[in-house]
Amino acid sequence: MPSPIALNPISPTKSMFKKRSSTPMASATSYLSAVSQADARARAHGAATPTATPALSLSSSVTSSSEDTVLDEYDNNSDGLTLPLVAPTSEQVFTTVHSEFGHCANESFRYTSSHRLGAPAQETEEPEPPYYIVLTTYLSYILLICIGHVRDFVGKRFHPSFYYHLMPHDGYAPLNSDFDSFYTRRLKTRIDECFSHPVTGVPGRTIMLLDRVSYDHNITSHLTGTKTRALNISSYNYLGFAQARGGCADAVEEGLRRYGVAVGGTRLEGGTSELHVAAEALVARFLGQEDSLISSMGFATNSTVIPALVGKGCLVISDELNHASIRFGVRLSGASVRMFKHNDMESLENLLKEVISQGQPKTHRPWKKILIIVEGLYSMEGTLVNLPRVMELKKKYKFYLFIDEAHSIGAIGPHGRGVADYFGINPREIDLLMGTFTKSFGAAGGYVAGNKSVIDRIRLRGHSGTYAESMGPPVIIQIVASMASIMGVASPLPLARHSSHTSASSVSTVGLLEATEHHPGPAPASALPSWMDLPIELRDGSEGLTRLRRLAFNSRYLSRGLKKLGFITYGHDDSPIVPLLLFHPGKMRMFHRMMKHRETPIVVVVVAYPATSLTTSRVRFCLSAAHTKDDVDIVLRACDEIGDLLDIKNYSGERWSIQRVIDSAVELVNAEDI
Amino acid sequence: MDNSTRTLQPLFAFLAYSLNRVETTFYKIPGSHVVARYVKSSHQDDPGRTVLEILLVIFAIRTLLQSRTRSDSGGKHFIKFSEKEIDELVDEWTPEPLTQPLSAEEQTDLASIPVIVGTNGPKPKLQSGKQVLNLASYNFTGLAGNEVIKERAIETLRKYGLGSCGPPGFYGTIDVHMDLERDIADFLGAESVILYSQAFSTITSVIPAFAKRGDIIVADRGVNFAIQRGLYVSRSTIRWYDHNDLKSLEDVLESVQRETRKRKLPLTRRFIVTEGIFEKDGAMVDLPKIIELKHKYKYRLMLDESFSFGTVGRTGRGLTELYNVPATEVDMLMGSVANTLNASGGFCAGSSFIINHQRVNGPAFIFSATGPALHATSASEGISILRNTPSILTTLHENVRTIRAILDRVDCITIPSHHASPMIHIHVRVPGPSTLQLPGPGAGKPSNPASVQPREPPVFDIEGEERLLQEIIDEAMAQGVWVTRARRLRGQEFVDARPSIRLSVSSAFTKKECEKAANVIKAAAIKVLGRRK
Repeated sequence: MPSPIALNPISPTKSMFKKRSSTPMASATSYLSAVSQADARARAHGAATPTATPALSLSSSVTSSSEDTVLDEYDNNSDGLTLPLVAPTSEQVFTTVHSEFGHCANESFRYTSSHRLGAPAQETEEPEPPYYIVLTTYLSYILLICIGHVRDFVGKRFHPSFYYHLMPHDGYAPLNSDFDSFYTRRLKTRIDECFSHPVTGVPGRTIMLLDRVSYDHNITSHLTGTKTRALNISSYNYLGFAQARGGCADAVEEGLRRYGVAVGGTRLEGGTSELHVAAEALVARFLGQEDSLISSMGFATNSTVIPALVGKGCLVISDELNHASIRFGVRLSGASVRMFKHNDMESLENLLKEVISQGQPKTHRPWKKILIIVEGLYSMEGTLVNLPRVMELKKKYKFYLFIDEAHSIGAIGPHGRGVADYFGINPREIDLLMGTFTKSFGAAGGYVAGNKSVIDRIRLRGHSGTYAESMGPPVIIQIVASMASIMGVASPLPLARHSSHTSASSVSTVGLLEATEHHPGPAPASALPSWMDLPIELRDGSEGLTRLRRLAFNSRYLSRGLKKLGFITYGHDDSPIVPLLLFHPGKMRMFHRMMKHRETPIVVVVVAYPATSLTTSRVRFCLSAAHTKDDVDIVLRACDEIGDLLDIKNYSGERWSIQRVIDSAVELVNAEDI
Repeated sequence: MDNSTRTLQPLFAFLAYSLNRVETTFYKIPGSHVVARYVKSSHQDDPGRTVLEILLVIFAIRTLLQSRTRSDSGGKHFIKFSEKEIDELVDEWTPEPLTQPLSAEEQTDLASIPVIVGTNGPKPKLQSGKQVLNLASYNFTGLAGNEVIKERAIETLRKYGLGSCGPPGFYGTIDVHMDLERDIADFLGAESVILYSQAFSTITSVIPAFAKRGDIIVADRGVNFAIQRGLYVSRSTIRWYDHNDLKSLEDVLESVQRETRKRKLPLTRRFIVTEGIFEKDGAMVDLPKIIELKHKYKYRLMLDESFSFGTVGRTGRGLTELYNVPATEVDMLMGSVANTLNASGGFCAGSSFIINHQRVNGPAFIFSATGPALHATSASEGISILRNTPSILTTLHENVRTIRAILDRVDCITIPSHHASPMIHIHVRVPGPSTLQLPGPGAGKPSNPASVQPREPPVFDIEGEERLLQEIIDEAMAQGVWVTRARRLRGQEFVDARPSIRLSVSSAFTKKECEKAANVIKAAAIKVLGRRK
């Protein structure tokens, strides 16, 4: 049975956008009744009102009834981006829009991401490219730098106006010296077409690009007014919750009507709503921690929480590849900082021995406390932290552990609860778990979870509680709805509808998770606002589980498939981030452009120095549960062709043909080791 | 012996051969003859010099090979320990707890924060079941709960979903973000605008994007916490002037100029950093005067308009509208989309060069996901409402006047805020001799610009005043008026601000409601503070 909310007619509203269509229908009967309802509505409102009749799509499933997607002039569906190429059978019922969340009914294309107990954490190898690749990469950079300097030399003499901002003028020092901006001006600008591409619509399985051109070598760019729909393997949308339709979006719409867009104020002053309290309890339960604190921006979660934990006389030990927000937070805190080699536990242990025995520099006083900050999943490398080993070290060296799970929460582990879940480690043994809602939950902002006393201290001492705006209600509702659908809701919702006041008190009694309670367990019904009426497949957690399993399959398939095709990839097999090494700076732009200009356009993210080391320029794929196996096939085929043209297949291991990879996808994914 | 010579013969032959090869190869290198001749003649003149030069070459190679990021081991202060000693030291070390648990007062304080049920607005319902007049939340323009904005947000949700799922560089730049940037730029009359996804993080990121080590920043002693953090992170040389005292600013600028001339320092970037309406006390800066000074001494101005954008000026364009100064005169103008437009995020306006620089160098911009699309469209809708309804600002200013007319006449409190500021701070008036500042030895002399502390820091009793203020708040809450203490991060800020109650006036109040609120606060203040004597 579809949830009753799905059939609620939406009152037609004046809109600057295209008219809205009704919510997707779950079955043929509901579809018919919706048509007759829409018809009745149209008659009642007279001919002037635009009707919201669901468009008849070509496929027998009524899932893609959204007029936005079907009737868009730029979508012709020759590439299968908006509608499945193979029409579903009558038994298959999909409740999602194919362009946002792909239809995939084949149960064998599923996998559960988890670490085998007792096994050592996978050593992530970083294969070396052949020498000629390294050499030509350096040569490329030398050439680029030389050309850049020649152009600067000539340009300063013949086009001084271009350099006006980089030279002192009228007694003002330049805001940016020509030396500091050399990399940006002479190297990055050349490949600017790969960055900051404006988009529109939902960043789901596909994304709508606003086409742009540049007539002056990427100094400025202009929108042409046309749009291109492309397969999106770039957005952080791990569980595919970036959706404009479906149970979560319906809940957000209802929430917007009830709570408005923003609360207005900081958490400690006039900006705490009942939703914040409810969401924090749910997040704590999701993570298996006592308490949590949510903040309106992911970057700011790190930069405002870390200074509340450490200060002068404290030491932060940080992985060398930690995210900029962590570095920013540590710098703000005024604590000393030491780095260890990326994910190298030996280097970490040696460092620990040294810093504990030596104490603070010069004075040799013991450190007040040592906080180790690592990420669960590294966003540029795709590596997972070696958590079992870190926990062993933690017992021995008594440091505090802060794990930034910005990318791993929701995306890793059999229950989607991050690296602790993946490695089967009790989350309570970790002092602080931090993460963001941007990635797996399709929302925004971040959280930090831990002991109640620690979190309460962060509430008062963290910067955002006192000074930053609180999280907006629609964002919280998206978090609650998506998180609850991953967890599943324990008991049925109370039948009687309470008034909003009583719902608030029921929400606040959720309180803290008892230590004895089972983790990872379902969400208690009382953790959800009583008006929130999630569809059954979200409430029982079945869809959430499917999403987790689809993501795990896609991640493993792409990463192993690329390896078999002969590409050098970094990172863990279960990581939804798959970096493919290109090395040459020039190949980044070519790869990006060739992917985008294929018959089925694919948008990719290319990253280079300073986000990576100088020679390891790469393209980074971010998989999503929204992708189908066909989508991953498309990406693999594209990589295969472009890889031959650009000479990127530099891995020396065994090589398979593309057809063999596609045909044996399931075996490839399920194999213990390849 | 003969035997051993014979066995070693091949080795000697090989050595002689290799030496020969090296020599011929060396002479093949162009210019090598010159080097050889030089070495030979110098060795002839002074054999000791050859030894010295060889040593120099070895030292140079060693320095080059040494890692620049080596750890302390080998440093002057490094103590060598044996494995066993290290293990003992590791066992002995006991860290402090991660955080200190809350004291009982702090716990009650945290528990006393009111929780809103349903939509926030001028009269929200609290979890206690009470409906109160809300002077605690930032809702200056009364846009909270606006139905038009809600509809617009829902439309956006149905087209864009909720999250942007990416940083601006990687497909996170949605057309609605560009629209909002354009809307704000048009509204202010600025050339270009960049959006950040949180107002608090905006200026903390803008300052270090421009100011680096060695640059000079002249800042007000009363700047807000976000600016303080930005200044700290920038590692620039900071000079302070007395809070909202432009005479002091001029003195500091003059002294910096003198110092630069005297020590012949190179030309570096120089900035003046201040706020439009100060978050700390609601004072307002004299913008035309500051712009005059900035031009005179060739500084760039960073102006934080988090509380003045959307609240002052005829249509809410902020300080630049109020003083009729073109927004292009302010080099970096920061504002909040959260406080007045009732969405989320912050922005910086300036010339397109300044904005594009931040798109590549602003840490909170490049490393953060962009804000939700529906917040951007809500803010755009908010701006169009402000443009089309000038009465919002007229009502807001009218309401501020109504409240000030009542509160200004209360004896037991002082109000440091500017009379046009919609954010009104209330201090406890300290009676008796403690207000009498005895003229110290340094009286009349200017403060030291290198220190954030003024020469004569005001003396106040933080805990005592906070307790009194909280009593006033509780008393007002009992009468159905919700006000809040201005929260501070005591111990983390450069200068501790005087405890205050902060009223945020909204245009959504009627005149009657304003009078009621002011009278309730007045009565509560008199009741609490009158009892003291």
